[in-house]
Amino acid sequence: MSDSIIGAGPKRIDGQRKVTGEAPYAADHHPDNMAYGYGVFSTIASGTITGLDLEAARQSPGVIDIFHHNHFPELHRTPSSMAQGNKVEETRLPFEDNRVHYEGQFVALVVADTFDNARAAARKVGVSYQRDDAIANLDQGVKAHGTKPGSGNHERGDAEGNFDGAAHSIDVTYTTPVETHNPMEMHASVASWEGDRLSIFESSQGVVQQRGALSKIFGIPPSHIRVESPFIGSGFGSKLWMWPHAVAASVAARETGRPVQLVVPRPQMFTTTGHRPETRQRMRLATDDNGRLVSLRHESINTTSFTDQYVETCGSVTQSLYSCPNLTVSHETTRVNRGTPTSMRAPGAAPGLFALESAIDEMALAAGVDPLEFRLNNYADRDESQDLDFSSNHIREATEKAAEKFGWHDRNPEVGSMRDGHEIVGYGMAACNWEAIKRECEARVSLRADGTAYVTCATQDIGTGTYTIIAQTVSDITGLGLEKITVRLGDTSYPNGPISGGSWTTATTLPAVAAATREAIKELKGYATSEKGDFADVDNDSDSLVFENGQLTHDGQGVNYVDVLKGQKLASADGHAHTQGADDRYSYRSFGAHFVEVRWDPGISNLRVSRVVSAIDVGRVINSLTARNQVEGAIVMGLGMAHFEATDYDARNGRPVNNNYAEYVVPVHADQPPEVDVILLDYPDLEFNEFGARGIGEIGITGMAAAVANAVYHATGKRIRDLPIFKEKLMENIPAVQSA
Amino acid sequence: MREFDYARADSPRQAVSTHGSNEQAAYLAGGTTLLDLVKIDIMRPEQVVDINRLDLNEIETLDDGRTRIGALVTNTALARHERIQSDYTVLSEALLSGATTQLRNKATTAGNVMQRVRCPYFRDGVSSCNKREPGSGCAAIEGHNRSVHAVLGTSEHCIATHPSDMCVAMAAIGATVTVEGPEGQREIDFLDFHLLPGDAPEREHNLKPGELITHVTLDAPLNNGRSGYLKLRDRASYQFALASSAVIVTLDGDTIVDARVALGGVGTKPWRAHEAEKALKGQQVSESSFQRAAEIAMQGATPYAHNAFKIPLGQQAIVRNLTTLTA
Amino acid sequence: MSDHQNNGDSRVETFDARSPSRRRFLKSMGASGLAAATAPAWAQIAQASQQQQNAPVEPQDDGAPAEGEQQIQLTVNGVEHTLNVKPNAVLLDVLRDRLMLTGTKKGCDQGQCGACTLLVNDTAINSCLSLAVSHDGDSVTTIEGLSNGDELHPVQAAFWEHDAYQCGYCTSGQIMSAVAILNDDNIGSDDASVREAMSGNICRCGAYKNILAAVQDARGKMEGAS
Repeated sequence: MSDSIIGAGPKRIDGQRKVTGEAPYAADHHPDNMAYGYGVFSTIASGTITGLDLEAARQSPGVIDIFHHNHFPELHRTPSSMAQGNKVEETRLPFEDNRVHYEGQFVALVVADTFDNARAAARKVGVSYQRDDAIANLDQGVKAHGTKPGSGNHERGDAEGNFDGAAHSIDVTYTTPVETHNPMEMHASVASWEGDRLSIFESSQGVVQQRGALSKIFGIPPSHIRVESPFIGSGFGSKLWMWPHAVAASVAARETGRPVQLVVPRPQMFTTTGHRPETRQRMRLATDDNGRLVSLRHESINTTSFTDQYVETCGSVTQSLYSCPNLTVSHETTRVNRGTPTSMRAPGAAPGLFALESAIDEMALAAGVDPLEFRLNNYADRDESQDLDFSSNHIREATEKAAEKFGWHDRNPEVGSMRDGHEIVGYGMAACNWEAIKRECEARVSLRADGTAYVTCATQDIGTGTYTIIAQTVSDITGLGLEKITVRLGDTSYPNGPISGGSWTTATTLPAVAAATREAIKELKGYATSEKGDFADVDNDSDSLVFENGQLTHDGQGVNYVDVLKGQKLASADGHAHTQGADDRYSYRSFGAHFVEVRWDPGISNLRVSRVVSAIDVGRVINSLTARNQVEGAIVMGLGMAHFEATDYDARNGRPVNNNYAEYVVPVHADQPPEVDVILLDYPDLEFNEFGARGIGEIGITGMAAAVANAVYHATGKRIRDLPIFKEKLMENIPAVQSA
Repeated sequence: MREFDYARADSPRQAVSTHGSNEQAAYLAGGTTLLDLVKIDIMRPEQVVDINRLDLNEIETLDDGRTRIGALVTNTALARHERIQSDYTVLSEALLSGATTQLRNKATTAGNVMQRVRCPYFRDGVSSCNKREPGSGCAAIEGHNRSVHAVLGTSEHCIATHPSDMCVAMAAIGATVTVEGPEGQREIDFLDFHLLPGDAPEREHNLKPGELITHVTLDAPLNNGRSGYLKLRDRASYQFALASSAVIVTLDGDTIVDARVALGGVGTKPWRAHEAEKALKGQQVSESSFQRAAEIAMQGATPYAHNAFKIPLGQQAIVRNLTTLTA
Repeated sequence: MSDHQNNGDSRVETFDARSPSRRRFLKSMGASGLAAATAPAWAQIAQASQQQQNAPVEPQDDGAPAEGEQQIQLTVNGVEHTLNVKPNAVLLDVLRDRLMLTGTKKGCDQGQCGACTLLVNDTAINSCLSLAVSHDGDSVTTIEGLSNGDELHPVQAAFWEHDAYQCGYCTSGQIMSAVAILNDDNIGSDDASVREAMSGNICRCGAYKNILAAVQDARGKMEGAS
C-alpha cells in the first residue's frame, strides 16, 4: 500500500464533516456570552469624517458599545513583513483617524447582544463627511498623479532596438478590471480575551502571519495569541493576510470584556478585504521571418490604494515562458480610492497571461503561423530570465496532448468558418504557467500507543485537500491506514506552517510531515533498541532495523510499534521537523495548456464555453481526486474572469456599484461547460522535493481568459483586449450614445 | 433589520384593516423583495403584516376562460400548474427563467408583481435616487447603467428596469389585478398597474395606500396560440434579464393572425409592444417581418452610456423568439 | 433577549473525522473537561446535530415572550422547539445563533448565493430571506437532520465520494437543494435540468462538475433504494 497511496485518489478524511455540516467555520463558534459586532462603513471614497451621530444607535435595543476613531484604543501598526511573519496588506488600522481612503471602509463598529440588534443599531449611526474628489479608476489615477515604479521588473538584451526593424510586430494594450475573490464564506472573526491573552477564530489562509500581526498591533507576545482556522470557506487569496475587521473584533472583545463575533457583510467583501486590482498592460512583440520572437516587452500598470503599495506582477510569467533574447518586463502602480488590493488566485499570472497569451495569438496570426505551432516554436527550454534550467518542464507534451485530445488539428483557421446551427464555433488555446514555491515549515507527528498517528502543523486546508494529502504522506511512510491518522491544522498552537497560498502548501508541508514522521520512527527505534526494548541488542541506526506497515522488523523478526510503546508504558513516539525552502539550483515552475471551444450565437448575442481540454504539468499528483478538482475549479473561475467578472465603480465618485453576489456575476451550475477534460501529466519533479509535487491551486486559472478570448476571435473576428468579454463587445449595430 | 411590529393576518379584510392607511406598513408574502430591502435598510416598515396564511393559494379556471391566480401562489406552483404550462406556456417559461429554485419556492404571484428595482443607486442608500428620495436626482443616468437600466420608458428622473420576468409574460397575455383596500375591492388592468417613472418615480404602481393584491386573473388564452419566453443575460441562470421577450402568436398557415409581444430587461415597466404587434398582424412568417416588428418595438428607445446594446439585444430577443415559435 | 439555553451543555468533541465511535464515547461520558485541556477551543462547538437526537425537546422558551417578542413553535429535524423571537429575527440566524445548528451557512445574507438553503415543510428555500416568526408551526430540515446517526444520506455519501466540494462552505446548501431536486418529479433527471435547478447554489470553488456527478449518482442510489 505504501507504494500506491501517494498519487491515489482517496476521498477526503475531513469529508464527512463537510457533508454533515459539522465542520466548524469561523462564525460557527459561539463562546459563552458572545456579543455581535456590525460595521458602519463609509459611503464616500475619499474625505474626512466630520461628525458621528450615535444617539439613536446607542438607544437601540441590546447595544453594548460603539467604536469609532474617537473611541478606540491606541494600537500600533505591524511592520508588515512576511519574513517576520506579521504581514498584512492594509497597514492602516481601523479607526486610526478620521480619514476615508475608500468607500466601504470601517467608520464605526456597533457591538450588541444579538446579530439583529447589532445590525439594526448600525443602521442608525449617522455619519457626516467632508467629501474630497475621489480617484475612481486607473485612468484617473495616472492622469492625477502618474505612476510609481513597482517590483518584479526584468530586462535582458535590447527589446526596443530589436522591435522596429523586425519582420512582424504588434503593439497592443490589454486591460483587466477589478475582480473580487468572493469566497462563499464571508470574512469572520470571533475574538475573546482572557487577561492579556487573545484567542481568535478567523477565516484565515495564514494563522501564523495573523498571530504575528496581532502581536505587533497589540504589543503582546505571539505566545499570548492563538489564531484558529481549522476550516475556511475558501479565500482565493483574500484571506492570506489579516484585514481590519479582525483588529476591530479583537479590540471590541477586549473593551467589552466579552467574546465578539464580527462578520464582514458581503458588500464590504468588495471593499475592505482586498481584490485583484485593475491593470493596463502594453504588449509589444516582434518576430523574425521564421516566426521566432526577437523582441518582447510587457509593461503593466495596476491600481493600488492610497494607504499601501500593492504590485500585480503581470509580467512574472512573461520573462521565462518564451525564449526571447530581448525582453523587458516592468510594473508600475497608480493610486486610486479603493481598498488595498491583494493576491487573488494566481496573482500577476492570471491577468498577465490574459495579456501575454492573447498577444501571442495576435503575434502568431501577424506572423502567419498557427497559434499552436507558434508556441511550440517559441517555448523556452530553459529559464532565460534566471539563466537556469527548469527542474522539470513538459509544456510541449502538455500542449500536444491537449491539442490532440481537443481536436485542434480539425480546426479551420479561417475566422467564423465553423458553424453549427445558429452558432459559430471558435477554437482557442493558451499556455498556462505558475511558479513552484517551497518554504520552510515545521510539523509534528506522533505515533501513538493506541495505534494511531497524530499530525499537527499550523498551515491550513482551504479546501484544497491538505488534511488528506498530509494523511497520505504519513500513511505512505508508516503503512498506517488513513482511518488511523488524525491531522490537525489551522491553529497557531501547532508547529509553524506556511500560508495556504501560491500553490506552495503541498511542496512545503509534505517534506516537513515526512521528516517528522521519520523522526518519530527514529524515536521509536530508540525505544525499541534501548535496554528495555524488543531489539535491545540492535544498533538503533542499523539499516537492518526497518519500519514498515506499522511494524519494526529486524532479521525477519517483527514487532508492532504499539507493542514497543506499550511495553515501556509510553504514550507515543514523537517527531518534530523543520524543513527548509527551495534551493536555487533550478527554475522551478509548473506548466500546461488550455484548449477552449466557444459558441457564439450572433442572433441572440449569446456566448458560451462549450468545451475545455487542459493538460497540466505540476510534477507528481499527490491525490488525483482533489488535484483534478483544483484544476476544474480554476477553469470555472477562469471562465468567470473571461466572461463576467468585473467590480464596477462609478467613475464620478469611486463608489462600487455591483458589490453583491447578484450583480457581480460569477459562474453558476448552468455555466459549467458540458465537457471539461483535465489531463494531469504526473511527472515527479524530484529536484524540487522528495515527493516530486509542485502544487496545483493556481495554474488552472492562468491562461484561461486568453484561451477564451482567442477562441472568441476565431469565432467572431473580434479581438477583445478588455475583460470581461461582455456580449456588447461582440455585437454589431449598437447605437451611439449622445453624451448629456 | 430595524425593529418592526409584526402581525399575522387571517383574512384579506383583517390584513387590510391591520395595515390601514399606515404608510409605514408593509405586507409580507414570500419576503424575497421586502426582507432583502429591509436588511439593507432601504425599506423601513414599522408594521409588517404577514399575509402568508391567507387562503389565496388557488389557481382557478373561470367560466369565461380566464384563469384566476391567488396572490400567494408561489412562482414554482404557478410555473408547474398544468393549465399554465399548456395554455400559458410563456408564463411558465418566464417564471422558470427567473431567480432560482429556492427563491421561486418562496416568491409569490403578488410579490413578484410588487418587485422593486435592482438599480444599485436605489439600493445603496446614499446616491441620488428619486425613487428613494424624491427630488434628489437620478445617479444612474450619468452613472453606471449597464445591466439593470432601461432604454424604454425612461425619464430624466429614473431609468431603472422593472426586474420581473413573470410580469412580462402577464403583460403579453393580458391580465387583471384584483385588490382589496380600505375602500373595498377593485380591479386594475395589468397594463395600467405599473407606472412609468415620469416625474414621480417614487410611485411605482397604481395601488392606493393599504391596498392588497388578492388575485391576478389572466385573460383567456388566444385560440391556438403558441407562446414562449426568451431571456438573454450574461450567465446562463440566476440573473436578471438584459433583454427578454414574451411572445404569443397565432398563425393561419404562414400568415400571422394575431401576435402579442412584451419585453423585459429593457423597460422601466413590463413593456407591451403594441405597435410591433400591429406590424406583425397579417404578415407572412419571415425574418424580415420579424426584424421590422422588432425595430418598431424598440423605436424611441434611449440608449445610455453602458446599455445601448440593449436596443439591438431587445430586437434579437423578439426575432429569435418569433422565429422559434413559428418554425 | 432570552437565554441560550443549550449553552450550558459542556460536552466536547475531538476532531476525528474517521472515528465517530470515539466521538460517541466521549460524549456519552458527558466528558466535561475531559478533552477541554487538550482539544482546541473550536472543538467545543455545540453538539447541535447530536443534541437534537439525544435531547428531544430543547431549547425551550417556557416563559411568556418579552415585550416585542412572539412565541413560536418550530420543528427542526423532528424536534419541536418553543422559542420567543423578535419579529425581525431571521430564520437562518435563529437556527445558527439560538439552536446552534451551524451547519446551515450564511454566504451573502441577501438571497444571492444559496448557502443558507434548507427545507421548510420539504420545500427548499433561502433561510436568510425568511422571518422566523413567519414559520410558526413549520417543520424545518437542515443538513444536521439528513443523516441517520452515522449513516449518511445518499446525497451526503455521494458528495463525499465524488469530492463534490472544495472548501465545503456551500456544501450544506448544495446538498439540501440536491435532496429537494431529487425528490421533485417536476425536475428533469438530465444533466442540463439538474444544472439549471441547482443554479441557485453558487460554488465559488467551481466544483460544479463533481457536484453534478454526485447528484446523479445519488439519484441512482435513491431510486435503487425505493
